[in-house]
Amino acid sequence: MTPDARELRRRERSAKLTLWLAERASRNNSLLDRLCRKIIARATRIKPDQDFMRDPLIDNDTGFDPDELERYQRGE
Amino acid sequence: MPAPVPFDPQAVAAATPHKRNPREGVETHRVICSTCDIACSVVTEVKKDRVVRVRSSDNPIFRDNICMKGIIAPKAFAHPDRILHPLKRVGERGSGEWERVSWEEAMADIGQRLKSVIKEYGPEAWAVSTSQWNTCTDHGLGRRVMNHIGSPNWISGVALCAGNTAAINRMTYGWFPMGDFNNTKCIVLIGHNPRRHSWTPIFNFIRSAQARGAKLIVMDPRRSSNAEVADIWLPLKAGSDAAMLLGWLKVIIDEELYDRDFVAQWTTGFEALCARVNEYPLARVAELTGCAPEMIAKAARLYATAGPSIIPWTPITDMQRNSTSGIRLQSILRAICGYLDVPGGETLQGFHPDIVPESTIEMHEILSDEQKAKQLGSDTHPAFTYRGQHAFAEPMKRVWGHEYPNQITGCYMANPSATFRAMAGEGAYPVKAFFALGNNTVLSYANMPLIIKAMMNQDLIVVHEHFMTPTAQLADYVLPGDSWLERPWLTDSFGWMSSYRASEKSMEPPGEATSTFDFWKKLAGALDRPDIVPWSDLESFYDDRLRGTGMSFRKFARSTEMYFARPEFRKYLRTGFATPSGKVELKSSVLEALGFDPLPYFREDPPLDADYPLKLFTGVREDGYFQTAQRQVPDMRKRSPEPVMFVSPGTARAHGLLEDEWVEVENQTGKISVKVGVRDAMPDGLVRIPHGWWKPEMKQGAGHLSGALEYSDAQLCRDDEDYLDREQGIPHLKGVPCRIVKLATQPVPGPEAGGEVV
Repeated sequence: MTPDARELRRRERSAKLTLWLAERASRNNSLLDRLCRKIIARATRIKPDQDFMRDPLIDNDTGFDPDELERYQRGE
Repeated sequence: MPAPVPFDPQAVAAATPHKRNPREGVETHRVICSTCDIACSVVTEVKKDRVVRVRSSDNPIFRDNICMKGIIAPKAFAHPDRILHPLKRVGERGSGEWERVSWEEAMADIGQRLKSVIKEYGPEAWAVSTSQWNTCTDHGLGRRVMNHIGSPNWISGVALCAGNTAAINRMTYGWFPMGDFNNTKCIVLIGHNPRRHSWTPIFNFIRSAQARGAKLIVMDPRRSSNAEVADIWLPLKAGSDAAMLLGWLKVIIDEELYDRDFVAQWTTGFEALCARVNEYPLARVAELTGCAPEMIAKAARLYATAGPSIIPWTPITDMQRNSTSGIRLQSILRAICGYLDVPGGETLQGFHPDIVPESTIEMHEILSDEQKAKQLGSDTHPAFTYRGQHAFAEPMKRVWGHEYPNQITGCYMANPSATFRAMAGEGAYPVKAFFALGNNTVLSYANMPLIIKAMMNQDLIVVHEHFMTPTAQLADYVLPGDSWLERPWLTDSFGWMSSYRASEKSMEPPGEATSTFDFWKKLAGALDRPDIVPWSDLESFYDDRLRGTGMSFRKFARSTEMYFARPEFRKYLRTGFATPSGKVELKSSVLEALGFDPLPYFREDPPLDADYPLKLFTGVREDGYFQTAQRQVPDMRKRSPEPVMFVSPGTARAHGLLEDEWVEVENQTGKISVKVGVRDAMPDGLVRIPHGWWKPEMKQGAGHLSGALEYSDAQLCRDDEDYLDREQGIPHLKGVPCRIVKLATQPVPGPEAGGEVV
């Protein structure tokens, strides 16, 4: 087996493992599922000051008041 | 275009999931946002039976996939102008005179009138146009009903956005791949510019990939926000994608940077490809693209050697007069560099074996060959029609297990321009009944004057919508559609991916709004064919599709955020590719059999008309809007109150343009009014036109169409042969000649955002 083929096999095994982890994490029912979710959360954590997805518009959103939406819908 | 599911934790960046304690009186649901077509997994919070908040998912694998359009949805769908009851036109078409009717009354009349059209003109006289993110619960039922009734004339915006890409990708390797963002080492963005609030998951994936060291190559005439953080930016001329990619191939082949084993074992036509590529030495490519040869070569080398690399789907190449060649060249690069179906490359996923795919629901096999042959546009521009895809039936069955596997709903479409011509009485046969579901047809295709003429020539127009769009204003019936807050959903990204996600219903739809599923069920009944849609309701339909999982829809939605099969890479080793030869066809046998050049090429622009010295590109969105929607949402409108074109400082000086002044942009097809925005990032001579503008507060009805006649970019989009892709017949929207006309007087802003011209 060539080094390239070995590398490809390694990547395939790695991809399959991470997919399995993600599948369990997505299910989030059993203890094992939750452990997988924790592993994913830990593996993907980055520093808050480097977090390119932080956005005040999203982070500070608190939603709407249901009565306000009701009045809005009635055109008041 | 739906987002790829982020299944690799190494690339799903950061953020510890918040632990959220249940709040008293607040009920939560796991939902998929469908405000745009990217399909982000989010959470809704419900109080007093109403969605009051949309927030990002608690699941780290869907981290932060939410944008401003998602969080405003509870208010957007509570808008007082939302259509809540069926409306029937009572005055002349486009008069704006309506009366409220019951669903029963509406569907009985629609059924009767559609049957009359079919009786007089044949079933092919009925055409349908849809947009999948609004009509999520269509699930192929529209095609199913049409196939049973006998009409092949289904069109969609996906004809020039992802659907056509799917069909053309098949010409090379028999499927439409999804890039593995999470493991890739190099990403190539071709004109596409995902941002924090536009194509959010893709933005997230790209930044995550860069954070772990992946390279980014951007081809874009503008210095886009992605270009600013790219390793290489190629500021090519608008519309020259195919020429640029031919240059890449020239470098990669000449320098033997391709995967020689893969090419030898798994491709056909390599020698012919080499001969074609030799017609494009870098000096010629540099002239065609406006980029330095050294930079072209550097980018090509990076793509070929840094891999596995991906070229994610881009709408930009889809919308060019060399679209077929451009898409084919992307496919060829993926293949010869050895990036097909490998981790970090371009995955060929197929359908999930446990769940009934939408392709099965569509039942294309039921439509007779005689009716398929009548599909509009298939005679001249067949690539994504039944005729163009016919040769794939056997290979698809062999490799993917389906004779008609539809991806992005784009593989068996009629051609939109040909359909509008037939509707306008200028086709081979008349089309006299037109249904638009969640689709603002008038603004969504090229040649708006033709579309309006086509609409005015119909015996029956039915629109299923949220708001009184310009398209709805010309209808006979406007029927109230539900929203993604108000219905369940099940998606596999329109057949692009083998993973499924479910969306829970969060609240009841207001008024008499119903799902697209309900619409098709009611129509099948009105056509005396209730057997076509036999399921009693949407959830039982999902239960049926999910039977192979052993779960009901409710159980599935509660227990599984993402359902997918274990990945298998390099499946072609076992099955071959789903092409007639079973190999990657660098020289396409299908295109050749259809009478087209089997090799990719670059068709240069027609000589520039001195009267139209500038070039425009359109299709660009503002963050607060998706396509033609959301202009009525005050919070979004405040951010972008008027349509703004972008030009460079040099172009502004040359034409005496001032920031914020109103001007007209015109060409041979039409003209629109826009404000001027001078942007350093724009190249000289290029005009960026925003997509989908109309003003819901302006006067409705024929002759007005709520400002669409003044502002819609579709007025400038040509569909004459010089500006159509040959194989697909889709319009060139990236580099259309135009001119800017200064106004003698400026509009004075009125009480509403539209203002009045004095």
